[in-house]
Amino acid sequence: MTQEAAPSPAAPAPGPVARLFQQALPGVDITPSQTPIDEAITVHRDDFLRVMEAAHRHPDLAFDFLRCVSGVDWLTELESVNMLRSYRHGHTVIVKVRCPYEDPHIPSVSHLWASANWLERETQEMFGIIYDGHPDPRPLLTEEGLGYYVLRKSHPLAEIEEWQEGYLATIDAAKAQAAAATGAPVVDEKAAKIAAAQAKAAIITKTRADARAKGLPPEDEKAAVAAALAKWEEEQAAQAPPAAGGAPVDPKAAKIQQAQAKARVITKAREEARAKGMSAEEERQFVAEALKKFSDEAAAPAPAAAPAPAPAAQTQASKIQLAQAKAKLITKTREEARAKGLSPEDERAAVAEALKKFAEEQGG
Amino acid sequence: MPTEYVAPAEHELETIDIDVNVGPQHPATHGVFRMVLSVDGEIVKDLDPVIGYMHRGNEKLPENCDYRQAIGYHDRTDYLSQFNTEHCYVEAVEKLGGIPVPERAQYIRLILAEMGRIASHYMFVGAFGTDLGLFGTSFMYAFRDREYMQDFFEEITGERLMYNYFRPGGVAWDVPENFKERCSEVLARIKKGIVDQRGLLLDNDVVLARCRGLSPVTPEQAIDWGLTGPMLRATGFKYDIRKNEPYCIYDRFDFEIPTGVQGDIYDRLTVRVAEMEQSVHIIEQALESVPEGPIMTEGMKRILRVPPGEVYMRTESPRGEYGVYLVSNGSDKPYRHKVRAASFCNLSGLRAMSIGHYVADVVIILGSIDIVLGEVDR
Repeated sequence: MTQEAAPSPAAPAPGPVARLFQQALPGVDITPSQTPIDEAITVHRDDFLRVMEAAHRHPDLAFDFLRCVSGVDWLTELESVNMLRSYRHGHTVIVKVRCPYEDPHIPSVSHLWASANWLERETQEMFGIIYDGHPDPRPLLTEEGLGYYVLRKSHPLAEIEEWQEGYLATIDAAKAQAAAATGAPVVDEKAAKIAAAQAKAAIITKTRADARAKGLPPEDEKAAVAAALAKWEEEQAAQAPPAAGGAPVDPKAAKIQQAQAKARVITKAREEARAKGMSAEEERQFVAEALKKFSDEAAAPAPAAAPAPAPAAQTQASKIQLAQAKAKLITKTREEARAKGLSPEDERAAVAEALKKFAEEQGG
Repeated sequence: MPTEYVAPAEHELETIDIDVNVGPQHPATHGVFRMVLSVDGEIVKDLDPVIGYMHRGNEKLPENCDYRQAIGYHDRTDYLSQFNTEHCYVEAVEKLGGIPVPERAQYIRLILAEMGRIASHYMFVGAFGTDLGLFGTSFMYAFRDREYMQDFFEEITGERLMYNYFRPGGVAWDVPENFKERCSEVLARIKKGIVDQRGLLLDNDVVLARCRGLSPVTPEQAIDWGLTGPMLRATGFKYDIRKNEPYCIYDRFDFEIPTGVQGDIYDRLTVRVAEMEQSVHIIEQALESVPEGPIMTEGMKRILRVPPGEVYMRTESPRGEYGVYLVSNGSDKPYRHKVRAASFCNLSGLRAMSIGHYVADVVIILGSIDIVLGEVDR
């Protein structure tokens, strides 16, 4: 889970291929290790290009086939793993190089092996490792690019909406401002939803605990939970106020208009960005800026109703830190739960609770 | 056949290239694959492949499953040679965990993997005939034989497509009692079917006229582009992981590595048909000596944990080198699970292979790569 578990902590004696590398590259720091099939070497990022050029051109090494490139996320560092084979000599090697999260740059080797082109493009897209000097660094599997890196450990398998919060914050702010501009009451739907979900979760947990305390069988427990939830929902429905007055005559039409105007802005900004030949990342930023400008303008006529300005965008570094802290917390809670021998369901509940607590601490 | 784009002479009319979109829903793209062709008349001047329509997170999902649950995802990467992909994954887990495999299980795996290769190549020759415009004939003959094989696989695994039959340490359950007889029956049909395919495709004048000398690839180019499997062997380069980096028990059997001469489309076709014959040959040898005994290593834990470490396991799948890079941190799930897909790397050479050819030929060139989009996109 953590980088302590990374292989090759102590350097074993170099194998024949690693010795060839050391002979070909005197003075370069090469850390050898052994996998069940191949030998592996780890090099520093500054030496990486030199090592790969030697691997390709040196007659004793002559690795003419780059068979695979893979990324690995070690939470504080990103690793690029290159599997090589020499058809001439019949030997193989795995060359590994690491880069820090904050500065994920690694030199590209696609000028040495054409097969690196797509493999590096894919790794760049999935891990956010930027291969410097790549001739065609467009996203490969997702044509438009995602803006987040799905194979990093900080990217969850589920609950993507929650994780995307930062990414969607600008759009939400624009929504709120647009609503303010049309005079509709600002309803923080998301906060309400979250509050509702949290209340629900609390009820479920409580009912379950009660049921277990009473020693009910699982089926009865489920029924009890369902009943409690139904009751809660009824209460909510009773409490909900009737449709708010003061809204514009046709809020739907206004919303549609707003959305259409926004779509036009996005299209225009994208076209401009493409015409300028921006990268996918820059393009996204450009669009976000245009959107922000648009929503500012929309908010201007009704300054009284304008909500508080959106919180300053989180910097990339703090986001990463947060994600790492979260990931650590999840790991820890899970391990504790396992040590206690909890069932998967309880484990999940424990993790959710820990995350909730963490979010509260962060908010406070 | 023109291999170089020839610019029109100066006094001719000035022309511009037109971008033509092919796919993603197009019968010639073998799935959801898109190409943006830049054409000058009928000649392709540039080609931009667009992939990813089937990206399902096939590398991420197994990182959240335990080692046995991840087997099913390998059926779904290359869904035309499921035994071969499963084989690679379970071998990777075994290498990493130092898990021995009983003899009988090794034989069963080898026979099924070779059968899977034949079934996959049948799919290729059938679909390739359709690409060439021999609609129906070769396809129906190929599918007739493939159906027998699918029935055979269903008898063993209970599934027609997603077998999920191999396990780290052996196979899921033993084969039926009449395994050898049924295998021989299927082999007899396959042998007859290969003769039919040779007559229909390889000795066919139309196929020869269209495929001979089209888009030749040299061994140097193939190695540089990362082509593997039949694509590499068609160039005349003799390399097969089963021989050069033997895994399973391939080193016990006698078989040839078929190679082509000039790496053109026709060579890719002949190499694959010859490979089917070699696979039949391997299975016949293996059938003679399938031992009795256990099919699973004793003492396998319910929750499988492998020691920390990493391994890059590769096997010869029908499309080339199928690789699995596993990193373990000692828990019950892979920490990193990377799939090196053969058709992904083979497809990356499509642009270079297609420039300067006719639009109609690009369809054949794409068909000859034998892509499976499930494996390309993962």
